[in-house]
Amino acid sequence: VLLVLHSPLSPFRRLLQRCWARLERGLLPSFPGGQSPPWGPALAVEAPAFLPEPESNTREGNEAPSLLDSILWMAAPKKRRTIEVNRCRRRNPNKLIKVKRNIDVCPECGNLKQKHVLCGYCYAKVKAETRLIRVEIQKKEGGPFNAPTVETVVLYEGEKPTEKDEGKRIIERARKRPSWFVQN
Amino acid sequence: FCCSLAGSAWVCGLLSWARPERWLASGSLFPLSCIHTSTSLQKSGKWEKKNRIVYPPQLPGEPRRPAEIYHCRREIKYSKDKMWYLAKLIKGMSIDQALAQLEFSDKKGAKVIKEVLLEAQEMAVKNHNVEFKSNLHIAESLTGRGRYMKRIRYHGKGMFGVMKIVRCHYFVKLVEGPPPPPEPPRTGFDQAKEYVQQLRSRTLVHTL
Repeated sequence: VLLVLHSPLSPFRRLLQRCWARLERGLLPSFPGGQSPPWGPALAVEAPAFLPEPESNTREGNEAPSLLDSILWMAAPKKRRTIEVNRCRRRNPNKLIKVKRNIDVCPECGNLKQKHVLCGYCYAKVKAETRLIRVEIQKKEGGPFNAPTVETVVLYEGEKPTEKDEGKRIIERARKRPSWFVQN
Repeated sequence: FCCSLAGSAWVCGLLSWARPERWLASGSLFPLSCIHTSTSLQKSGKWEKKNRIVYPPQLPGEPRRPAEIYHCRREIKYSKDKMWYLAKLIKGMSIDQALAQLEFSDKKGAKVIKEVLLEAQEMAVKNHNVEFKSNLHIAESLTGRGRYMKRIRYHGKGMFGVMKIVRCHYFVKLVEGPPPPPEPPRTGFDQAKEYVQQLRSRTLVHTL
C-alpha cells in the first residue's frame, strides 16, 4: 500500500494558491510582452468599445473541473463541536431509548410477550410441531407437485377418523395430541 | 500533482499521523512500550476484584447491609456509545423490569446485557447469599471502551482510510432490595429556594 506522507496543511495551501492564480488569470487578463491587449480603439470614435468583460462571460466557465472549485463552496464545519455540545445532542431525551409499557405475561406459558405480538415461546412450540407434520407430509407425498386436491387432517395417537373426515387425507403423528391443538 | 487527485476524498485520505508502530498488537515487538498489558489469559480488572471485599461482621444493632454483586463482560463487539443508551435505560430498574425491556429491544447490545444480567442473578443466588432472585435492582450500569483495532478501509481511486474495529466492556452492580423511588425532577421553585438559602448563609469575612 502506498502511504502518501504529507503534512495536512501544505497541499491545501498549494491547491488554494493554484486555484486563486487561475481565477486571477481569468478575471484580470494581463499580457506581458508583444501581444496587444483586447482594449477598445484608441481613437475618439463614437463606436462601442469592446470591453474584456463580456468576453470573459461568454467564455466557457473555467477550464478546471467543477470539483476543485466546488471545494471552496462546500459546506464544512467552522469550529470543532465541543464535548459539552456533543453530550447535549447525544443525551437529549429524544435520543434516549424509551421505556416500553406494552409488555405483558403470556397466560399460556408464563413468558413475557408484547401485547400486540404473539408469544415467542408458544410460537416456537407451534412452529416445531408444524415442521414435524410437514416432514410426515413429505414422506407421504414423496416428491414435489404431489399435493392432493383434498383437505388434510392430522391425527395423533389413539384417534380414529370421524365421519366428517371421509374424503380427506390423513396424516398420522406418533405422539399425544398437544393441548393447544384442538381436535375438530 | 495534488490537484489532479479526486475532489474531497483526499482530505480524509491524508494521515501523516498514522505511524506504523501503533498498528502492531501491543506486547509483540515493543515490550518496553507496553508495560501495562498483562500476559495472563484473564486480566483481572478492578470491577472483578470488587466482589472479593469482605466486610467485618456487623454489630447487633446495625441495619442489615444489602448484598452487592458486581459483574462485567469484557471485549464485547459493540460500540460503547451505542451500549451506553441501553445502560442508561436499565439504570435504577428492578432486575425483572430490566430483563423485560431488554428482551423486546431491537439493539444488538440488548442480548449481551440480558445474558450478563442473568449470569449476575445466578451468581447472586449461588455465591452471595441472596434470598429472592427478584429482590435485586440495578444500582450502577456502565460501559467502557475496549481494545480498538485499526484496519484499512479502501476507498475509490486508490484512496484509503483507517477504520477502527470497536469493542466495549459492560459493568453492572446489582444490589439486593427493591429499587429506590425515582427522585422528583428539580423544579424552578427548588432552585430559587436553594439560591435564597445560599444568599442567607453568607457571612462577613476578614472583619471584626
